Amino acid sequence: MSRVLEIPAAFDDRTFETFAQTFSQGPLTERLLFDARAAQWASPFGLVAMLTAAQAIREAGGPTPVFTVPNADEVRRYWTKAGFFHHAADLFEIHGRVPRIKPDERSDVLLDVTPVRASEDVHTVVGKIQEGAARILHEELRLEAKATMGFAMALSEACQNIVEHAGTSGWVAVHAYTFRKRLGRRVVVIAVSDAGVGFRRSLEATQARRFGDRWGDGAALEAAVIQNVSRFRDPGRGQGIAGIKRYLSRWAGKLSIRSGTARIAIVPPWDDDQPMIEHLAPFPGAQVQIVIPAQEGSGS
Amino acid sequence: MRQTIRVERLLRESVQTTYCDLVTRSTGRAVRASIEQVLASAGAAEQVALLDFSEVGLVDLSCADEIVAKLLQDPPRLTFLVLQGLREEQLEAIEHVLEHRDLAALVSDSADGTARIVGRVSPDLRSAFLSLQSTGPATAAQLAERLGWPLSQAGEALDSLLRMRLARSADGLFIAPLSA
Repeated sequence: MSRVLEIPAAFDDRTFETFAQTFSQGPLTERLLFDARAAQWASPFGLVAMLTAAQAIREAGGPTPVFTVPNADEVRRYWTKAGFFHHAADLFEIHGRVPRIKPDERSDVLLDVTPVRASEDVHTVVGKIQEGAARILHEELRLEAKATMGFAMALSEACQNIVEHAGTSGWVAVHAYTFRKRLGRRVVVIAVSDAGVGFRRSLEATQARRFGDRWGDGAALEAAVIQNVSRFRDPGRGQGIAGIKRYLSRWAGKLSIRSGTARIAIVPPWDDDQPMIEHLAPFPGAQVQIVIPAQEGSGS
Repeated sequence: MRQTIRVERLLRESVQTTYCDLVTRSTGRAVRASIEQVLASAGAAEQVALLDFSEVGLVDLSCADEIVAKLLQDPPRLTFLVLQGLREEQLEAIEHVLEHRDLAALVSDSADGTARIVGRVSPDLRSAFLSLQSTGPATAAQLAERLGWPLSQAGEALDSLLRMRLARSADGLFIAPLSA
C-alpha cells in the first residue's frame, strides 16, 4: 500500500509546508503516491520541490513514487509548458495523460524546469534566461535595462549553491506571474531546489563550534545569509548570497531559503513573512526562492 | 611591453562554451589559468596586460572573484593588470569583489588611454595615482612637491601603489602603468 502525499491545490512556498509535513511523516523507502489530481496551480517553487522530493526518494533507495497528474487540463498544460513532466518522467511513475505542447517564446515561463548538476548547466541557465528576462523585467516589471544583468547574476549565484555546496544535483525554474493576494503586482520568481546536504551539514565543520548549543538549521542559515559565511576558508567566498541580497535590496525583492527544518527570509516592506522560522518539518537539501516585484507605479 | 588579452576568446577556449558569460567559479579558475599562461609566455620582461572584457556578456561575482580578485591578489611577476571594455554592470560586479577582498584594480574606460583606480584604496593613493597619470612620472620628492605633502606621505603612497601594482618604477621614477 502506498502512502499518499496530497499536492496542495495552490502549491507555492507557503503551502509547501503542508507538503513537507506529510512528506516527512514516514520513511522514503515506503511506496509514495504524489496525488496532484486536485492541483489548480503551482509556482516554480512547488514544481522544483516535487522533483526534489522524488530525487530524495531515489537517493534514499526508495521505490519509484507514483504521480497522478492534475485533473484540470490547463494545469496539465502549464506544468508541461514549464518542463515539469519532462523531468518528472525520470523520477516518477506518471499516471494520467500528459499533453504535448509546443514551446511558447512569449510565455510567462522564463525558464522551464532545468537540472543543475555542474558548472556547464549554470552557463546554460544564464544563457537561456537573458533574452526573456530582459523582456519581462523591463517591459512588465519596469525595471531599468541594467537590472537584467543583475537578475542573471542572482540566478547564477543561486544555482551555484547547488554546484558548490549541495553534493548532488538540483533544479531551477523561473516564472512571471501576478502576486494577487500578497502584492497585487506582477513578479518574477526564481526557485532553486536540491536534495543535497543542506546548509547545516555544509557549514558544520567550520561554524558549529562558533554557535555552540545554538547550532542547527536556523543558525546555519543565519551564518550563510546574514553573516555571508561559507564553508570554504577562502575569504573571497560567501559573496554569492551577499550579491543576491544587494541586488534584491535595490529592487525591493525578497529572498527566502529553506533548509532542513528552518527557513530564513530577507523580507521587503510589501511582504509580511517572518525573517526566521525554525522547527519546521524536515525536508532534504535547500530550497531558495527569489522574488522580484514590478516597480510601484508600473501599472502591472 | 604591452599586450591585450581578449577575455571572451580565452573563455571560449578554456571551457568550450557557446555562451560568452563569465559565470561560475570553475569557469573563473579555467580562464584565470589561461590568462596566467598567456602572461607567462611573455617571458621575463615587465609587461602591462590589458584584460579586455568587450565581448563578454554577464560577469557574476564568483567568476569575477576567481579571475580578477585572485589575479590581483597574487599577480604574475612583473605584470601590471589593467581592465578594459567593461560595461557598467560588469564593473559593478568586479568592484564588489575587490571591495570584499580589500583590493584595487586599474580600469581603462576612456579613449585617451588613461586609467582609474576602482576598489578599495585610500584617498592618498588615488591622489598620487592621478598625479602620476596626469602630470607624469615622479620621484617621491617631486610628488610631495606637486601635492603639497610631506615627503614621507608621498613615499608611503608611492610604495603602496607599487606594491599593489597600480604603478611601476624605472630609474627612480614612479610611473602610471599606461603612461608611455
